[in-house]
Amino acid sequence: MSELILQALYSGLLQGGSYALIALGLALVFGAMRVINLAQGELVLLSAYIAYSVESGMGLNPVLAIPIALVVVCLTSAVVYFVVSRIKKDREINSLILTYGIGVILTNGMLLVWKADIRSTSSEWMQEAFVLGPFYSMRSEVLFFGVSLVMMAGLWWWLSRSWYGRAVRAVSSNRDAAKLMGINPGYTELVSFIVAGILAAFAGVALFSYGVISPAYGGVLTVKAFIITVLAGVGSIPGVLIGAVLLGVAEALTVTLASSALQELAGMGLFLLVLFIMPNGLFGVRGRRG
Amino acid sequence: MQTTKNTTKNTTMSKTSLLALLALCVGGPLLFAQDHYVMSLLVASMVIGGIALSWALLGNLGGMISFGHAAFFGVGAYTSAVLSMKFGVPVLAALLLGGVGALVAALAMLPVLRLRGPYFALAILAYAHIFRILATEWTSMTGGSGGLSSIPPLPTLPGLDLSSKIGAYFVILFIVLVFAVIYARLRESHYGLALRAMHESEDATRVVGVNSVVLKGMMLLLSAFMCGVVGAFNAHYISFLEPDYAFSALWVTIPIVAAIFGGYRSISGPVVGAVVVYLLDQLVFKNIIPSGHQLVLGVLLVAMIVFSPDGLLPLLRKLFKGKFTRSKHAAT
Repeated sequence: MSELILQALYSGLLQGGSYALIALGLALVFGAMRVINLAQGELVLLSAYIAYSVESGMGLNPVLAIPIALVVVCLTSAVVYFVVSRIKKDREINSLILTYGIGVILTNGMLLVWKADIRSTSSEWMQEAFVLGPFYSMRSEVLFFGVSLVMMAGLWWWLSRSWYGRAVRAVSSNRDAAKLMGINPGYTELVSFIVAGILAAFAGVALFSYGVISPAYGGVLTVKAFIITVLAGVGSIPGVLIGAVLLGVAEALTVTLASSALQELAGMGLFLLVLFIMPNGLFGVRGRRG
Repeated sequence: MQTTKNTTKNTTMSKTSLLALLALCVGGPLLFAQDHYVMSLLVASMVIGGIALSWALLGNLGGMISFGHAAFFGVGAYTSAVLSMKFGVPVLAALLLGGVGALVAALAMLPVLRLRGPYFALAILAYAHIFRILATEWTSMTGGSGGLSSIPPLPTLPGLDLSSKIGAYFVILFIVLVFAVIYARLRESHYGLALRAMHESEDATRVVGVNSVVLKGMMLLLSAFMCGVVGAFNAHYISFLEPDYAFSALWVTIPIVAAIFGGYRSISGPVVGAVVVYLLDQLVFKNIIPSGHQLVLGVLLVAMIVFSPDGLLPLLRKLFKGKFTRSKHAAT
């Protein structure tokens, strides 16, 4: 039994890596623009479907889909930004409805192009077992956990060390003061959407490499990303990683100890618990309370 | 002064449009009474209208955007179906209890009111997923993913068979009208005033002694109750339920498009929007793109938010503004 639990902890940890990428995309855009992009999950899914097309159409390894996915998803994310930036009033509420509408467009677009069937990778290399001491996983899971860690380190470096990253943080903490310092807020907002697109592209290819996808899955991904940001609180990359791993572990434990149908309930239980006990999240400082 | 003028103008506006709507609603079935296809479209569009109205009530009065109304719809449907099937509750009473069931589900969402705007919207979306899972997993009560079939139909009153298409149409029309009247009364009451003030500034309203959390909670419960009754009606009308249908995202998407399209700040807007959008979707979009026709709804939603977030009416008014002012000048 204890081996099973340890194995569940390990799988949850690996799963948490790509959850963190999705949640960071959501958090980054929210930080820069006070807009929750409800189409973030659909962007991830779009990238996963591109990986599927590259694999089934050209017979290539899904990893090779990353360049195409990057271009398509970043462009889509930029389009989302341009539409959102055209909202004239009540941006907080209207942007929610707007990105929800974009999510509906993307979901149904994917349904049209790739049909409603469930897809998963057929690459043997990806599904090969990877043994690490007592733990088992697929190669793809370990590979993309590594990729996620590298991406997060890169994002951390970019946000804290580079000029663009500082500009994004400046706009997020005080828009007017940032303007006075010569930063164009519109530009940093676009950049944050594109970076969220990059994160989504990687997360999508990862999702396709170790899981199953169907057009309706995008909404579930967005909800998961949101639960993670509530767990983590706003404004810390390690916090998001820990929140994502917590969610991954909670889900994996539920699947091991109860049933896979209850997987989503685990995340919700965690979400409500945090909401009741510490409404600002595990690591958050800023108030979210009404 | 300006506000009073606007309010009176709005009430007369909504009164005339409500009257026109009423005439159209009663006239419609008389023309198409024999055509089952048209009648079923009309009933379905009124169901959407009922959800859209409850959604708009929460959005307009409560200032909350919900992506989880499928939860209320589904819980209402299941409560009513299970009560009438397993406990022999008469169908008309079960409809009301379906609303109560949705209200109880909304009680579980009250903690989420601690969260501000966007967080609330997403939290309520997460809740909708949970209720769908519960309906699928609680097999002994709900029949699991196989669903419930042969749910008792609406009863026959002396002189009118409510389970017929025409009868069902008048039931849902009655439900929607009662909700519209409750909504209008509420908006004119001092609660409505407090809620409008809250929309301007929640902190300022709190300072003058309005308990904003209680008011918002009440709006959430009322909206849930309305949506639950509509869901319950739908369950008895089609006499079949399964989790994927009862908690479908469809029950969120079309009402939101309808409410935004018709203007969610008015009372008749969401209902009119629902009829227009649903008929367009079923008669036009579905024929052009058989699967994935909701794509067009998404495009419509995005276009509305970008170009005219207050509904189509202000846009039309803007277009005909020149004409209006000229005729006004001519009259005076």
